[in-house]
Amino acid sequence: MRRSPLKSALLYGSVIGSLAVILFPVYWLFVTALSTTFELSGLPPSFWPENPQWWIFGKVWSERPIPRWLTNSAIAAIGSVVLSMFVSVLAGYALSRFRVRGGHSLGLFILTAKMLPATLLVIPLFALFSRLGMLGSLWTLIFAHSTLIIPFTTWMLKGYFDTIPRELEQAAMVDGCSPLGAMLRVILPVSAPGLAATALYAFVLSWADYAYARTFLVNAQSNWTANLGIATMRGEYTTDWNEISAAAVFVAIPIILIYLFLERYLVGGLTAGSEK
Amino acid sequence: MARIVIENVHKSYGDVVALKPFSLSISDGEFVVLVGPSGCGKSTMLKILAGLEPASGGRIILGDSDVTDLAPGDRDVAMVFQNYALYPHLTVRQNIGFGLKMRGMSRSEIDRRVEEAGRTLGVAHLLNRKPRALSGGQRQRVALGRAIVREPRAFLMDEPLSNLDAKLRVHMRAEISALHNRIGVTTVYVTHDQIEAMTMADRVVLMREGEIQQIADPDTLFQRPDNLFVAGFIGSPGMNLVSTSLDSVGGRAGVEMFGSRVPIDGREIDSPRPIVAGIRPEHINLGEGPVSFTVRPSLIESLGSEKYIYFQDDAHQVTRSGDEEESSKGLIARVPNPGLLREGEEVTLSFDPANLYLFDARSERAL
Repeated sequence: MRRSPLKSALLYGSVIGSLAVILFPVYWLFVTALSTTFELSGLPPSFWPENPQWWIFGKVWSERPIPRWLTNSAIAAIGSVVLSMFVSVLAGYALSRFRVRGGHSLGLFILTAKMLPATLLVIPLFALFSRLGMLGSLWTLIFAHSTLIIPFTTWMLKGYFDTIPRELEQAAMVDGCSPLGAMLRVILPVSAPGLAATALYAFVLSWADYAYARTFLVNAQSNWTANLGIATMRGEYTTDWNEISAAAVFVAIPIILIYLFLERYLVGGLTAGSEK
Repeated sequence: MARIVIENVHKSYGDVVALKPFSLSISDGEFVVLVGPSGCGKSTMLKILAGLEPASGGRIILGDSDVTDLAPGDRDVAMVFQNYALYPHLTVRQNIGFGLKMRGMSRSEIDRRVEEAGRTLGVAHLLNRKPRALSGGQRQRVALGRAIVREPRAFLMDEPLSNLDAKLRVHMRAEISALHNRIGVTTVYVTHDQIEAMTMADRVVLMREGEIQQIADPDTLFQRPDNLFVAGFIGSPGMNLVSTSLDSVGGRAGVEMFGSRVPIDGREIDSPRPIVAGIRPEHINLGEGPVSFTVRPSLIESLGSEKYIYFQDDAHQVTRSGDEEESSKGLIARVPNPGLLREGEEVTLSFDPANLYLFDARSERAL
């Protein structure tokens, strides 16, 4: 059936409008990076610099320890993802499949942990890591981020496992798998889109953190993450916003690449065809 | 292939009894159908047989071994699920061969058996497809293939046809029966559809509220129902049941039905007792007969070769326990299409008292 011209106009209008809202900050980040300090302070602002200073990316890359910051961010994010996924796959599967006494309340309790603001946990976590002598180590970020990520990913995965028919693992068990074997051989491969989406969510949450890194790592310069590093680029008297923006572009690139790579997994529907 | 002996298997979830003590002995190669309305415990029994649910008590013997506490994979049974439960990330070939791979069979032997199963079920040309690229009937065949390729001691089937459309269901019903005749594996089949039960089974186990109502071959179940529930459940449309009382007039036993006195031979009556009398719709004929009565049909449905004549019997409460919707229409006569009949115009119907079923009103047992 063809859409009416009015409906088409509304549809395209709303898509273009949403895209504009989403993409404008990204565009402005580029414009800020490519503009001179003089252009940035001019009014009205120019929407594209007269002489884009592309060299700014090279300058920032060579003058600042961007590769190390990115590596530290990646270690913290990948570590958090691995730890959180390991815990939440098992927890989400158990909550979805097993009748546990008080299982429902337990699930809700886990979710309430997510409702606590991250800043509330900073102080007790700081005290804990300090006592353990871990302050300044990237492990603090891996553990701290996991406390934020696990409640949410457990719920996301429980919801995903709930959509997978139990008969799939029952069939696998009749075919000779143990319960764990059925999960590993059948349920996890079928859950690939859900696992990818959850892992990506966990990665972004860790990658985007500033507060924890600022609190636990501020005195360990070699372990600074990208967000913490960029924040230190603000000067006391002057701030080179173009350099900060160029550094921010470097931080954004990994996330964009990961989205591009995982996009096909994020589109669900792999279970289509297993039943009916 | 193996015989299956189920001894006093029962299942409770807390205070809720899902399955009352269930005992059944199934011969080697027999096709047994568990049938009954939703929640009657038939699927629970099948899952206990498969090892997917633990029983609260009782024993299951498969062949010569006690499998009660064995894991599903160690019982050497194959199961076909209502929603097929094909592994969506594997091809048809991998789906069918999965159980063999789990048993550590060599790759060449797996390929040989998968291809043979594929040919048997007519899916050999689909082996490299994923389940999502198959039609409902093809998926059903792959699910069957996954079961037969293992050459298990028993097949367990949980409403395997209920997701198919009516035409395909009839076709697959015949295919499953033919397959069973060819390979002769002991089969336990669960369905809520009495037609599937009657057409496929060597023996039918009719269940209700976790309890066996009757175990019999299809003909016996139809002709000699043990109780009111069996009488109402088996047969389409269901048996007409009316409340009446069995008494003696002038030394002759009889019941009052449709405004007529119906003699019941060969029964001694001490005192009148409340009963439910039943007559199958196909045992009511158009025109005069041994017991005749006139009705004004409230509804007439034509099925082409025959007609369903619905009528009310105000004097006797209708207690037919089959299909609710059918019950609300009243009593039914199923007659060869007699041509033009009008609703509301008087029609003479008749039946032979020999075709009457009598049930005790309180215990609901057949008399």
